Amino acid sequence: MVMTQQYLSGELSVLLAQLCAVATGRGRACEVERLRQEAETLPIVALGCVTARALRLTDAWCWDSLTRGDMPAFRRQAEVSAQLFEFAVCAGLLTAE
Amino acid sequence: MTTEQQAQLSEAQIAVHWREEEYYTPTPKFIGQANATDPDMLTRFREQNFPGCFKEYADLLSWDCYWHTTLDTDNAPFWKWFVGGRLNACFNCVDRHLTTSRNKAALIWVPEPEAEATEAITYQELYRRVNEFAALLREWGGVHAGDRVTFHLPMVPQLPVAMLACARLGVIHSEVFGGFSGAACGGRAADSGSTILVTMDGYYRNGQLIDHKVKADEAIDEARRLGQEIEKVLVWRRHPGQYASRSAMVEGRDFFVDELLDGYRGATVAPVSQPAEAPLFLMYTSGTTGRPKGCQHSTGGYLAYVAGTSKYYQDIHPGDTYWCCADIGWITGHSYIVYGPLALGTTSVMYEGVPTYPDAGRVWRIAERLGVNIFHTAPTTIRMLRKLGPDEPGRYDYHFKHMTTVGEPIEPEVWRWYHDVAGKGEAAIVDTWWQTENGGFLGSTLPALQPMKPGSCGPGVLGIYPVIYDEDGKVVEAGSGRAGNICIRNPWPGIFQTIWGQPERFKQIYYEKYCRDSGSTDWRDWPYFAGDGAVQAADGYFRILGRVDDVINVAGHRLGTKELESASLTVTEVAEAAAVPVMDEVRGRAVEMYIALKPGLSASTDVQDKVTAAIETQIGKIARPKHVWIVADMPKTRSGKIMRRVIAGISNFADVGDVSTLANPEIVEDIRHRIQAEKLARGEVPRQLTPEEAQEIKAFGHAD
Repeated sequence: MVMTQQYLSGELSVLLAQLCAVATGRGRACEVERLRQEAETLPIVALGCVTARALRLTDAWCWDSLTRGDMPAFRRQAEVSAQLFEFAVCAGLLTAE
Repeated sequence: MTTEQQAQLSEAQIAVHWREEEYYTPTPKFIGQANATDPDMLTRFREQNFPGCFKEYADLLSWDCYWHTTLDTDNAPFWKWFVGGRLNACFNCVDRHLTTSRNKAALIWVPEPEAEATEAITYQELYRRVNEFAALLREWGGVHAGDRVTFHLPMVPQLPVAMLACARLGVIHSEVFGGFSGAACGGRAADSGSTILVTMDGYYRNGQLIDHKVKADEAIDEARRLGQEIEKVLVWRRHPGQYASRSAMVEGRDFFVDELLDGYRGATVAPVSQPAEAPLFLMYTSGTTGRPKGCQHSTGGYLAYVAGTSKYYQDIHPGDTYWCCADIGWITGHSYIVYGPLALGTTSVMYEGVPTYPDAGRVWRIAERLGVNIFHTAPTTIRMLRKLGPDEPGRYDYHFKHMTTVGEPIEPEVWRWYHDVAGKGEAAIVDTWWQTENGGFLGSTLPALQPMKPGSCGPGVLGIYPVIYDEDGKVVEAGSGRAGNICIRNPWPGIFQTIWGQPERFKQIYYEKYCRDSGSTDWRDWPYFAGDGAVQAADGYFRILGRVDDVINVAGHRLGTKELESASLTVTEVAEAAAVPVMDEVRGRAVEMYIALKPGLSASTDVQDKVTAAIETQIGKIARPKHVWIVADMPKTRSGKIMRRVIAGISNFADVGDVSTLANPEIVEDIRHRIQAEKLARGEVPRQLTPEEAQEIKAFGHAD
């Protein structure tokens, strides 16, 4: 139901897989895996919430990497986060503000 | 970076602010060559000619045996189209073009790395590859007509080859989007009962060679956990002879396809003649319960419908180079990359990677180099291309005659960029509305006969008679400015047949809401409930507004019940959740959550706290429920639908209405006694509801 928007869950799933790959620590990766499972199974209307939570996670990771002075990790995480944000805005899952 | 992003308002809330737009008309050049230019066509597909009008679509196909009944409604709403007819989908998409178009490209595959050569696959070559893989599946895999095979393949030519090979054998294919996790693939494979998984070692995305085979191992574990054993894994190699995965091949289970195919070189398999109503494929879509729904599409009806809509709405001619920039892992790709275009014998372009890799000009370079003249993509991609390279199209010498947009509604501003800049003002645009369940377009404009209007998909397509109903089933008139639930009054050949293994759920979700007589075999009594809201302008054009879930208005914030329930379902212990409104003197309405736990678990404040935390985290503090009630079971209809109206009545000390038809009416009194006693004990003394409030509670849940 709700137009042919299933592809949005797929694109979000792919971006969350990328996010998982830049997680520092197994616990963080598990958090993203849970979000990915939700993106793949919950109704399309839930994708906005999943995306917002993923962005909050990356925000915290980025600050943590900066605090630790781990610039390579920060760059990787910020890059995926930016892709996720761009996608979410273009897909209408989040507002740009 | 900010953490303040909030989930956006629904499409409905945005779209209603769009003003009526001016019409655009296609160029005389386009009209002069279009497939549908005879206005009489609109008359031929009018309701008085239904269902016979669809013979025009079916006659685009080659039938082994002609049908005797166009539409059989005896087992409503499980419609059967072209009954008595027999055909083979693969024959229609491949074999029949060999006499006239043997050396024409059927598929042009563009790998993501620009340095890698583009691959043109002629109809003859496609015939060879499909036959060899079909022989392998039949003789080595041991599959027969009616068996299911799951694919977890990226955008590589092996995917349409595998689809057509299954279609050739009458085997039901089920492709899971290649970017999905192994667990998602395993869940769908288990649901379909597949014993064979077809996958690939890796594929390119954003410049990286992604390890894909590793997901097959996860898929097998997940399927096993769900009780389904996948016995054989067929692994295509992205670069034959080289293995791109770190995942070890499991002896006796995993096999390289390129090695196995050596034993089937030059093999041919006669296409298996299938009844028109034989399932062709399953396409999974997410559901409200977390269990994906396997939408089962037919062979004859589906193929006729996608061939017809491809010909008349996408204006595909055999000589065109057509590119649907989407993924075959979704219904759009099945219908409008593979089955529709190939049934018409055209050239269909496939692209492996990300549209903006390595830069925002990639799509337009491909269009220029291949001479693409029909382009088709989704609003999200259009917005992305516009954002990253608003002027890029002007740098490339391509010319589209026709462009399609598919997916969510497209804003007029973005539509105009698509028309003026991407289409250079030359292309006719069709904005389409449809769903995974529908097989093909439901709302759009016939490009040479009906003008375009930005932001509106157009009227119902040929042979589709949409209507907007309000919650009480009354028609919302065109031009009234009022929104309602868009429904289709009639069946059509592309409609899915059922949800795989869940026929009651199929009836309940799509037909129960507006069915006039559940014993009727007259299609007029079974409007199809699409689940989207819409407004119809006086000119008959529809503007799709998105979903029509119930909302609870908390201090001016419109909270969707589905979001609240989805957030609750992320708590491991929760099996079912229902959100209802309760009158609140401060906020107007507050949220109350009803939760049923998984078997064997006991109620605890810990679970209640987890549910509250999940809602606060995922939606925001404004959504914090006033109460989280853990109940033994939910009041349900016999088809398993949770009766939110009844629960809302309990929470508000209001009339719960007639519960005699519920599957478990006894639970209502149990819940009411317990919840209302607890509320009274907490000093929550109910007040008399106003007539308007009582009506609101009574109507709650009607959008389910």
